[in-house]
Amino acid sequence: MNKRNLLFLFLIIIFAFSLGAVQWKEGLLHAGGISTLVQMLKSIFQPDLSWSTLQLAFESLWLTLAYAVAGISIALVIAFIFGILASGILASSPFGTWLSFGVFRGILGFMRAIHELIWAWLFVAAIGLSPFAAIFALAIAYGGALGRVFADILKDVPKEPIDALKSSGASKLQILLYGYLPATASNLLSYAMYRFECALRSSAIMSFVGLGGLGYQIQLSLSELRYNEVWTYMFFLIVLVWAVDCWSSLLRNRLDKPNKSKLNFINISAVAAVSLIVATWLYMFVAENADIFTLFSAKNAAHGQKFIASLLGIGETNPAFLSAGSWKNALRLSYETLMISIIAIGFSSIGMLLTVIPAARNAAEGTLTLSRKWYNWLVFGMIRCIYIFSRSVPELVWAMLIVYILKPGILAGALALAFHNFGILGKLSAEVVEDLDLRPVRNLASSGATSSQLLLYGVLPSVLPKFITYILYRWEVIIRTTIVVGFVGAGGLGQQFKLSMSWFHYTDVTLILICYLLLVGMVDLLSEGCRRLIK
Amino acid sequence: MAAERMFVLNNLTKIYGEMKALSSLSLVVEKGETIALIGPSGAGKTTLLNLLANTIKPDEGTISVDGKPMQEYKSTKQFASKVGIIRQQFDLIGQLEVIHNVLAGRLKDWSFFKSMLSLVIPQEKNLAVNALDRVGLSNKVFEKAMNLSGGEQQRVALARILIQKPEAVLADEPVASLDPARAEDILYMLTKLAAEEQQTLIASLHSVSYAKKYFKRIIALKSGKVYFDLPAEEVTEELLSSLYYLEEDKRHE
Repeated sequence: MNKRNLLFLFLIIIFAFSLGAVQWKEGLLHAGGISTLVQMLKSIFQPDLSWSTLQLAFESLWLTLAYAVAGISIALVIAFIFGILASGILASSPFGTWLSFGVFRGILGFMRAIHELIWAWLFVAAIGLSPFAAIFALAIAYGGALGRVFADILKDVPKEPIDALKSSGASKLQILLYGYLPATASNLLSYAMYRFECALRSSAIMSFVGLGGLGYQIQLSLSELRYNEVWTYMFFLIVLVWAVDCWSSLLRNRLDKPNKSKLNFINISAVAAVSLIVATWLYMFVAENADIFTLFSAKNAAHGQKFIASLLGIGETNPAFLSAGSWKNALRLSYETLMISIIAIGFSSIGMLLTVIPAARNAAEGTLTLSRKWYNWLVFGMIRCIYIFSRSVPELVWAMLIVYILKPGILAGALALAFHNFGILGKLSAEVVEDLDLRPVRNLASSGATSSQLLLYGVLPSVLPKFITYILYRWEVIIRTTIVVGFVGAGGLGQQFKLSMSWFHYTDVTLILICYLLLVGMVDLLSEGCRRLIK
Repeated sequence: MAAERMFVLNNLTKIYGEMKALSSLSLVVEKGETIALIGPSGAGKTTLLNLLANTIKPDEGTISVDGKPMQEYKSTKQFASKVGIIRQQFDLIGQLEVIHNVLAGRLKDWSFFKSMLSLVIPQEKNLAVNALDRVGLSNKVFEKAMNLSGGEQQRVALARILIQKPEAVLADEPVASLDPARAEDILYMLTKLAAEEQQTLIASLHSVSYAKKYFKRIIALKSGKVYFDLPAEEVTEELLSSLYYLEEDKRHE
């Protein structure tokens, strides 16, 4: 058996093992869980379309969009500056290289390691409830993620044109302007657009720290058991995310092709993006009356200082992060969190593997397995719709729904994460199948293989390694989000984080954050190691 | 006169790991000469050009450029007005318009803000248009460089060198990726422009016939040493076949 097969086997065993962490026997459903589920499912087809609900939905849609735009616009500035610094392209001495890789990469890594909702919560605790808590939280988490990728993109620019500029006497900054930036602009833009789509979902869940938007309305309607309204807001969120998804994929297509006319899609997009950013900030300052200067008042500064001091345990006789008992508990919760993430990625991978083939365009056309059935396109469309549906709803919202059906615990959290990631994995993996080189498949077909044999011998071996890469990559994302689904009682570090925050046990919060960062770091290393094995 | 010498190379040695890319090479290049570097692959042509371009440092020996030792050129900006380089391709930023790729030749004299402004409103536009006119590309000023053919891209690189105005031009396989007609076109232009600008030109080439046709002096390198160094008309078929043949022989040993 080769290394790759061993790895597959190893991953499957880990997943099976993690299932043992769920307490299956104690009854997972609420007493009325099933009937709630039926009610919820029924109301999908009867969303509340009354004028007052729609009005509220449009207002919340704008709020969600506005927070996302405001957050991502600051994130872009952060990512641009830190990305350049962290790429090492400006470094001219060993010290500069050390600075860019050690320090700036480290800062970006720290920013993105902590989930935006945690940032938001910390900001609310430090400066009080203000739109800026959400905006800054989004800006930091997304600035970190974008900056890291910007740095990698800049680093991968072909060397030759850069050397040519250098030899014609251009300075470092001039090389940046005439070399690195134009060469990477379209890549940077596509990635920023992709991240904007994610920011919309994050913005929706900012409701959890008390800010308005679609997430807030979903939460409100859920608590009043008005499922028809829940679905109205849900559909608004899905359409918003889907629309941005379409915009970004159209833009990506156009960026790759040369275009001469002035009035093209790219220019229109640029104008639209700029107007959106301007409108958002105007709205923040005028309508929301969010005054950025009061934010930096002496009162807030004192408050923030006090908050940081209590996080650090200053003045505390027995801070949690120095107590063995607290550590034991925190490590147990970390283990639980790890198990949740593994169950979640396992479930979403199984879901993806079961649906991915019919969800690929080339399978629907019949070019993949060389069999064409009348229902292919129908199945293709249905699965793609489910993918969009599943990935447009943030994990936390899935979790909110699920805790009405399942008892809070590991499984509830894992399912919420699995539902969201199923759609993402499905989409990514279907694209892998669509990009498959079909010549080996044709060859097999001509030697008499049936459709299912084609899948087993021609398709699976070439797509599986890529699937695993995506699965591992999503696992890294899931471990960061596991803490968030814990907020609604889905177990692990998140649940404890929420409790400690509401009891003002700030040294506990610090301990949880330390464990969280260790966990995230460990999973990143593991996943990177596994991915290297596959290559 | 020392001032008439563009490059003086003294006992240059460059070692990569186990292999001597150049061993104790000495050369004198007068101003205004046009030189073709020929020789089998791995003979040290690119290493020599990179040394002259100051992109790598020799392990032993010295180079002086225009009467001044190489190490006395403190900034790349200062050096860029002495020596300019054209490589076989990939010199351009594909996503940037032709005019900005050409104006990059002026960056050595421009401030950061002027270069930033120029990306919005092209500065010294006439200079660039003029240079593009001289290489026959005046109709492609605002085209993106990536949409140009290989030959056209190489002409843009020539236009950049034209406005960079170095005293010597180094060309590393300038026509390796072009078809014969385009290759002759570029070489004709390269040598013609160098003559007009009274520049020193050193080009490495694979094709001996191009070397004889367009260059006055031919230096053949083999195993990091000068195999022969003659005026183009004195290079004979026998010399050439021994230059390339012996290499084959060695490989079989």
